[in-house]
Amino acid sequence: MRWLALAFPPGDRWIFAAWLLLCLASLAVLWSVTEPISGPYEGQEAGVAKGIFWRQVVWVALSFVALSLAARIRMRALENLSLPALLVMLLLLAAILVLGPKIGGSRRWFLLGPIRMQPAEFAKISFILAMAHLLGRAGEDRKSLTATTATFFLMVLHMVLVMREPDLGTSLVFLAAWIGMVFWYGIPGILLVGAGSAAASSVMMFISESVLDGQPWPWGVYILLLIGVLYLVRISIPAKVTLLAVNLATGLGIPFFWAKLHGYQQERILTFFDPSRDKFGSGYQAIQSKVAIGSGGLFGTQYLQGTQKGLAFLPERHTDFIFSVVGEELGFLGASAILALFLVIILRGLEIAAGARRPFWRYLAVGVVSYFTFHVVVNVAITTGLLPVTGLPLPLLSYGGSNLLTSSILLGILLNVSSRSFDT
Amino acid sequence: MASRDLLYRLRLFRLVVILLFAILLGNLFYMTVPQNRHYKDQALENRQIRFRVRAPRGKILDRTGELLADNMFIADITLPVSCLEGDVPDSTLVLLMDWFDLDAGETLDRLRAQRDAERNRLVLVTNAPLGQITAVEERRRQLPGARVETRPRRRYHNKGLFAHVIGYVGEVGQEEIGPPGRAGEYRSGDMIGKQGIERAFEADLRGVSGVKLEEVNASGHIVGRQAVWVDEVVPGRDVQLTLSLELQDAMADILAGQTAGGVAMSCRTGEILAAFSSPTFDTNLMTTSITPEQWQGLVNDPAKPFFNRILQATYPPASLYKVVSSLAALDKGVVGKASRLEPCYGGWQLGDRYFRCWKPSGHGDVDHADALVHSCDTFYYQVGLRLDIDELAAAARSFGLGAPCSGIFPEEVRGLVPDSAWYDEHYGSKGWSRGVLLNNAIGQGELLVTPLQMAVLAARLGSLGTVPAPTFVVGQEDVATLSPLPFSIQDLQWVRSTLGEVVSRGTGKAAGLADVPVAGKTGTAQNPHGEDHAWFMCFAPAGDPEVALAIILENAGHGGSEAAPLAGRWLRTYFDGARPGASPALPLEANRQVLP
Repeated sequence: MRWLALAFPPGDRWIFAAWLLLCLASLAVLWSVTEPISGPYEGQEAGVAKGIFWRQVVWVALSFVALSLAARIRMRALENLSLPALLVMLLLLAAILVLGPKIGGSRRWFLLGPIRMQPAEFAKISFILAMAHLLGRAGEDRKSLTATTATFFLMVLHMVLVMREPDLGTSLVFLAAWIGMVFWYGIPGILLVGAGSAAASSVMMFISESVLDGQPWPWGVYILLLIGVLYLVRISIPAKVTLLAVNLATGLGIPFFWAKLHGYQQERILTFFDPSRDKFGSGYQAIQSKVAIGSGGLFGTQYLQGTQKGLAFLPERHTDFIFSVVGEELGFLGASAILALFLVIILRGLEIAAGARRPFWRYLAVGVVSYFTFHVVVNVAITTGLLPVTGLPLPLLSYGGSNLLTSSILLGILLNVSSRSFDT
Repeated sequence: MASRDLLYRLRLFRLVVILLFAILLGNLFYMTVPQNRHYKDQALENRQIRFRVRAPRGKILDRTGELLADNMFIADITLPVSCLEGDVPDSTLVLLMDWFDLDAGETLDRLRAQRDAERNRLVLVTNAPLGQITAVEERRRQLPGARVETRPRRRYHNKGLFAHVIGYVGEVGQEEIGPPGRAGEYRSGDMIGKQGIERAFEADLRGVSGVKLEEVNASGHIVGRQAVWVDEVVPGRDVQLTLSLELQDAMADILAGQTAGGVAMSCRTGEILAAFSSPTFDTNLMTTSITPEQWQGLVNDPAKPFFNRILQATYPPASLYKVVSSLAALDKGVVGKASRLEPCYGGWQLGDRYFRCWKPSGHGDVDHADALVHSCDTFYYQVGLRLDIDELAAAARSFGLGAPCSGIFPEEVRGLVPDSAWYDEHYGSKGWSRGVLLNNAIGQGELLVTPLQMAVLAARLGSLGTVPAPTFVVGQEDVATLSPLPFSIQDLQWVRSTLGEVVSRGTGKAAGLADVPVAGKTGTAQNPHGEDHAWFMCFAPAGDPEVALAIILENAGHGGSEAAPLAGRWLRTYFDGARPGASPALPLEANRQVLP
């Protein structure tokens, strides 16, 4: 039995079990997606080639190896690797903007023979490693904001490069990881309140300007409320003034930012607020995905029987919208089970982060948790119509080697941290 | 390590994560349980498409069951309305326009017009050739939304032989569809009877279109194994004409090359056996896309092929009308059967006007029978003078003149039988004199009749008033009301036998047959615009007639020399074996049960 124990990666058993179950679930759903629908539908082909399934089988096997390696590598080596890896990935991200072939209007992939390699995916690993390294070395002197500012620019650099591809969804992952890790590092509460209220101000102004066509009341009411709250709370006058100024600036800046967005990006955001705007474009995806999940009901249509999937109404059903297939065929219960598995990874990850003995390990764990939280919450929110459509895979479930490898390596790192924190 | 700080962050982070997942799960539950019905309906709506299926139009048969009009199937290549989303053609439409080499501007205009007419599918190609059908079927995956749809199209056998009786169908117009949102039973692209039997029997022939649900995939291709019928198609009922293909053929044959009309009617049953208007046109052209050249050719043809010379064209009845004058005079007792009036010296002087007889040398001293046999105008001028204009008009109306007599064709015209009220209205009560009677008595002046009316007149005279109203369709329910003839049977018999003499020794000799006695009357309608129109009406056998016939040849000259021989030829065919069996005929009620 000793060899069997050796085959498994060390560290948290729950997380590894969740990884394994999610990979198996992915294969099961991809099998369904590549099968012609059974029942009374003659001559309807699956629309997604069976090869997709077999490729994913290979990717799962490779990911197991990657996860095992990441779980066993010495932490010192990992930390030493972080800065060179960061540089290499930044170079690749820059290079792809020039050298990458244009596929579907964007430059996201390098073609390596039969496979596509997406540098932005692997850059998530190097970014989290570098962030952990920088925050870990900064020690506990949080008031100075040196580390926060430095990592902020690193994050913005990644976002800008990826957004140029363009790939809005992936670029936001860097923001999410940064917020999570910096939060763990510790930043003054006033900054969090400032950032949060600035975001709220932007959304309100956006609703006023673009959704309601210039009716000023949502943003106006928000600003009046903010002034009221600021009058009541007991913080210093300069802090109050700064908060109000930041809110005014972001709110008034939104129309200019809006004008800078690409037409299709504006359209997607507007379509989110009113999907019937574009029944055949991105609104179509949102509508069909909701129909798939909603029609699945409590128990689903049964495995292999989904008509939204089988009759090809559901777009991107093997990649970004794979969760809709789960909802249609396995119902609320199946979808909840998938969410529960992700929740296991995230909550166990938080425990690991809290229990890690060294700062570098701690920030690594938080980075991984932030990564999963963002990907899962945003992807599921998109497929259920809570957020506008943007390209973002569901980790471990969506078809695609780059993201599966990235997610598995990150989980391996989490296992690595857990094995060192609890076992020794 | 500030572990209190860390614990605080752990809890806050965990709280946020659990909150976010709670939102996701709550929303999932809301979508899948309370809203499940709504989304299930939407999923069904996604894959189910309602198809309206047009009913096949009823067939039209001749009295022997010979097929005159039925349906063929043609294939259209159609696209969903979404192929023009925002006026920009989608990839399918772009590909098809390229493959079929269609002019983009013209095609898009056409599709836009269809879309604006609220069609649910747009027809890219009507009656598509096999190559295009195969192209679409073989490359379905490249062409989401494109579909080959078949629909029935009217087919008229015998080209234009029955053009003016059967009429034709055409696409419904906006007025028949009704205002948007309140559409009646017709939808854009449906066919409707525009003329003739097709129009008169639209309600029977049309049938009821059905609705079926088909399951489709995202590309709009049908994938369901079985359609679900919401409303079954009810095919249109067949209509059987009383006309006979063979007799109609014979009629077309004698009138070929003429501008003419001819109607034959059974003296026993009132059934119309043949009714032809020459020249005719191929009604199949009307159901397809007729080319502008073909259309211009038909419209500009001086012989006016669209003009219905059975029941829309009116002519003065000319000497055929002398039958009416004789009967009115006998009935009123103003002229006897053996009466001799002033002899004919080639005309009659009334006041300062001289009315000519057609025979310039005159008929001399003739009795009533001879006057009819030789069609002496001078004699009838005097008959007219002895009659009142209203008496003469009443006699004409009792035969059905001046009123539509088909019972079914809305396009039929009434003709004109002037009476004193009419003259008062048109010329003022002082503006006309008894002189009009001279013209009326010989069937000229303002009198106007259709060939159908003259055939009915001949049949009623031949049957001594016993023939039922004319019918074009077996079991026809709507027929003209014919009042009984107000003349004594002796008077009618005398006129009938005298008409026998017209053919045996008078102006109608050319219509005579060796073995069957024929009775008839010739007429030559004066035409101020050109050559006279030649009339002939007849019935045979003279003593107990089976069939009556009236023909008119426009601008042909004398009835006796031009029209009578043609009538003889038609009767020859009739009695040489083309004569129809007693009555074909299931009554229409029985017909309805036999034919689905």
